[in-house]
Amino acid sequence: MKILCDRTQLQEAVGVVSSVVPTKSPKPILHNLLLRVDDEGITLFATDLEMAAKTRLDAVKVSRKGLLLLPAREASALLRELSDPTVTMDSTDQRCRIESGGGSFVLLGEDPSQFPEEIKLVSNKRVELPAGRLLRMIQESAFAAAREETRYAINGVLFDLAAGCLRLVATDGRRLALSYQNIDAAQAEFKVVVPLRALTTLSRAIPEGSKDPLQIAVGDKQIEFTFGKTQLISQLLECRFPDYEGVVPKAADTSVEIQKAVLESALRKTAILCSDDLRMVKFEVGDQALRITAESSARGRADVSVDVNVKGAGGSINFNPDYILEALRVCQLDQVRLDMSDDSMPAKFTLGESFTYVVMPISGT
Amino acid sequence: MATARTILHADMDAFYAAIEQRDHPELRGKPVIVGGDQPRTVVSTASYEARRFGVHSAMPGVQARRLCPHGIFLPPRMDAYVAVSQQIRQVFELFTDQIEPLSLDEAFLDVTGSQALFGDGEAIAQRLKAEVLAATRLTVSVGVASSKYVAKVASDLRKPDGLVVVPPGQEREFLAPLPVARLWGAGPKTQQVLQRARLAKIGDIQQQPLAELTRVLGEHMAVHFHTLARGEDPRAVEPERQAKSIGHELTFAQDLQTRDEVEAILLQLAEAVGRRLRQAGVSATTVRLKLRLPDFTTTLRQQKVAPTQDDLELHRTAVRLCRQAWSGRPGVRLLGVTAAELVPAATGRQGELFGEPPDKHTRVLAAMDAIRDRFGEKAIRHGGQRRTSTPFGPIEGA
Repeated sequence: MKILCDRTQLQEAVGVVSSVVPTKSPKPILHNLLLRVDDEGITLFATDLEMAAKTRLDAVKVSRKGLLLLPAREASALLRELSDPTVTMDSTDQRCRIESGGGSFVLLGEDPSQFPEEIKLVSNKRVELPAGRLLRMIQESAFAAAREETRYAINGVLFDLAAGCLRLVATDGRRLALSYQNIDAAQAEFKVVVPLRALTTLSRAIPEGSKDPLQIAVGDKQIEFTFGKTQLISQLLECRFPDYEGVVPKAADTSVEIQKAVLESALRKTAILCSDDLRMVKFEVGDQALRITAESSARGRADVSVDVNVKGAGGSINFNPDYILEALRVCQLDQVRLDMSDDSMPAKFTLGESFTYVVMPISGT
Repeated sequence: MATARTILHADMDAFYAAIEQRDHPELRGKPVIVGGDQPRTVVSTASYEARRFGVHSAMPGVQARRLCPHGIFLPPRMDAYVAVSQQIRQVFELFTDQIEPLSLDEAFLDVTGSQALFGDGEAIAQRLKAEVLAATRLTVSVGVASSKYVAKVASDLRKPDGLVVVPPGQEREFLAPLPVARLWGAGPKTQQVLQRARLAKIGDIQQQPLAELTRVLGEHMAVHFHTLARGEDPRAVEPERQAKSIGHELTFAQDLQTRDEVEAILLQLAEAVGRRLRQAGVSATTVRLKLRLPDFTTTLRQQKVAPTQDDLELHRTAVRLCRQAWSGRPGVRLLGVTAAELVPAATGRQGELFGEPPDKHTRVLAAMDAIRDRFGEKAIRHGGQRRTSTPFGPIEGA
């Protein structure tokens, strides 16, 4: 193959597919990117066998078609360093010569026929929404997913499409984040769990606030995201997601409305003095005031009171402050609401128009 | 004894109560009683103000309240006391590594080898008192002597904030004027016997020939008191004798035959261990199983667990270990369950969104403990002892 193309565009395309390349794999061939050059342009493809990314570059002057494997890390590092607006790639016998701005580099590839095949997803379960919207939904849910790799942990996010509403739900068993979006035209229904890693990779490819359409297609074992000329396909997690609707409180004895910045600041301050073995702050809701306290037998005490709007009886409840701080970090509202009942029942935070967060308190003190 | 030893006994003054008074200035100068605040519980520590009313450790709360009706009764804050105990331990470690903790608030230190660095026993004791005060704002009483027994008697003599040094060779004179109740091992019964023999002071015992004492006390006790009264106590300071584990084991009159029998006994053992963990305010992070067959082959197995003091969690782990350790062939002679790698129990518990609320289960255990406090250890047991499941779910692997 031999091509001439815009360096920035090629660098971006290589960056997108490189994000799925494993850093360490028992199959070294997976450290490569596959480039398929046809009459009109290049298709770039990479996979770690759990997910795969594919993108297309059309603004290319093709002199000779062909297939090529390029070491991903070296290729992206090199393209980042080059400064010329264009780049020429010429390959024979698994050796690729890259020329740009007076420099000449040879990258040694491997046999393209040994590289895994692209997966074609067959599905009629499709839904479309603005890419920036899905990015927000991922941000509002994924942080609550389990990070530890235990047997019962679900290291993924539930995509639940039913009755024209797409819900993204994540939980580590102690808190649960739910972000939803109505999709009027959606006829399809699915309920699948997508690995966190796939969503992290997808998020990197979507610009914040993008209005461009993004398609989701769901098959038996895979999910495919199509955004512009880029496709990301991932295996689904085979696990039973718990009944999340059952744990979202429907009613509350007490509702507290509070400025997000005020709550965040109060929590940051009190969290400093939580004890090491049990990260815990106490919320005491009184008459139009919220008092947050923490105590560490070894280090000291914190006591912060803030003005809030209270409806209902008031009461006290203990939380892990990190759970709330993590959620506030992705919250875009100025004013948030906390609905709570018993100090042993889940409490609900409303952190966006379509962003609900449920936290199980710490009890038994 | 080859060389004279120098042993310190350091004993914090009214430890729990002093911490409460330190942390809550409004309690200073007032009769503070830690423990005994709930029905059927006993006093853990009384401040010196409360002791003036006759309140002392291990006294039932009801009685303490009668003696000291305006006393301030507080629930124990074990995590705070454990934290201070660790600070004190760090101070001790400045002077020697030969430390034998007896509880959270007292320890023996053998400083024989430290005197070249820090001066004699008295100088070390003074520095230790100052360092403890600086680190914790609490006072400690210290006894310095050539044996553990005499050092312990000495530390108790001028509480609070006392320092009593018994120079080598003066043990007999030091002990002579003290009442026989100060003898280690002289409980109320023995004291009565000694009173009747007109032996009121330790000095009286020192005067008695061993034969005469033997007539009164029997040979075993006579030798023990005869030796102690002269201030002789050859016991060495044993570092790290603090409870590192809590365990129970049972040897059976008839070997157990079936899995059901074995697992039912494991539940019984787990309940006993869990109860003691909760009483001690600690959680296990390792569970050990001991299993002995009729031919005396003994197997030990252990597994790490998330900190727990839950009977059923201990049982589940013990059952899992037992399934690895025992083929199921009939005949088990002995079973033991031990909770090890103990850590202070967390005071709260993070709730779970899905499944059995752990909090509910904790409340069940607390209720069972309360019933046992009131009606005895056998008053209540977990059900399902002949089944492979419990009210809280199947035993894993069943």
